[in-house]
Amino acid sequence: MHDWRQLVSARLSDLMLDDDDAVQVFDELADHLEETYQSLLGEGFSEQAATRRALGGVGDWQALRRKIESSRKRESIMPKRVAQFWLPAFVTLLLSMACLALIQIFGPNRWIAPVTHGWRSVAPTVLVYIPWLSTLPFIGALGAYISNRAGGRTRAVFSATIFPILPYMVFFIIGLPIAIILDDHVARNVTVPMFFIGLCAWVIFPAAALLAGGWAVQHFRSRHSTAGRIATN
Amino acid sequence: MICTGIKKGTAELAILSVLQDGPLHGYELSRRIEAQTKGSLSFSLAALYPMLYRMEQRRWIRGAWEISSNGRRRRCYRLTPQGKKKLQPLRAEWLELFSALRRLTKVSNA
Repeated sequence: MHDWRQLVSARLSDLMLDDDDAVQVFDELADHLEETYQSLLGEGFSEQAATRRALGGVGDWQALRRKIESSRKRESIMPKRVAQFWLPAFVTLLLSMACLALIQIFGPNRWIAPVTHGWRSVAPTVLVYIPWLSTLPFIGALGAYISNRAGGRTRAVFSATIFPILPYMVFFIIGLPIAIILDDHVARNVTVPMFFIGLCAWVIFPAAALLAGGWAVQHFRSRHSTAGRIATN
Repeated sequence: MICTGIKKGTAELAILSVLQDGPLHGYELSRRIEAQTKGSLSFSLAALYPMLYRMEQRRWIRGAWEISSNGRRRRCYRLTPQGKKKLQPLRAEWLELFSALRRLTKVSNA
């Protein structure tokens, strides 16, 4: 039993493609070699002869590497990245911002988390837009669909899906601590419970909502492609 | 046997024509072409995949990973609308070439 995947990746180790592309090429060529090898065994060739003939289809590995690079590299790296990550990421970001703005203007009243300090309420409190949270699974699903349709792998799909929470995450992890350090007024108004409610309302729950939509699409599309017609030997 | 130069020119037409019948993975695609041309056209791995990738870049075909009925993960290629559009003029060009060659051969033999 040959490890064709290892053999191909070793022979084409200096293939100048981005990681995802290179992995796909290795998998595909290894698959072809395995099928050729199995077919030759079926025709009665010995294991040694079948291996030799299967590898004979490649000939010069360096020439193959150059051909693959020239056929894939020139146009593929940027547009693919744009299609699989940047485009869906900005679509989800813009849609989530637009939804939030519309809900803030026209939507129902926001829920204000009552944060208390001792016996009295403390202002300002945390604003939670529940209608906005309920739109996020659909936005996440759209982002995942665009990325998946462009051939995005799981990592690209889910990164694009949760991209809209990035500004809020940066605010909570970097912006707010800096503001607390620099501005005494902010420091007085931020309490630990408020910080965690805010983190949940603007980072964790939105991320979960976006990922739920994205996961549903990813799951559906992978099942759909499995059920698709596939030519086999 | 057809020489390499002509093979290169016909490769795109062969791939598009075979994919017109439905999606196929690379190995099966090469087998189909070999079988349908009775061995006159055959693709080695080194010739097939750069050609497929180039055609994919031109958006004539689209490759996607799928799981086959026997559980194997394979990259299947299918014709895109652009590929379907490209097939017709390619066929017409080759038909024109073949009929021109036939006419030329008749003249030469006369």
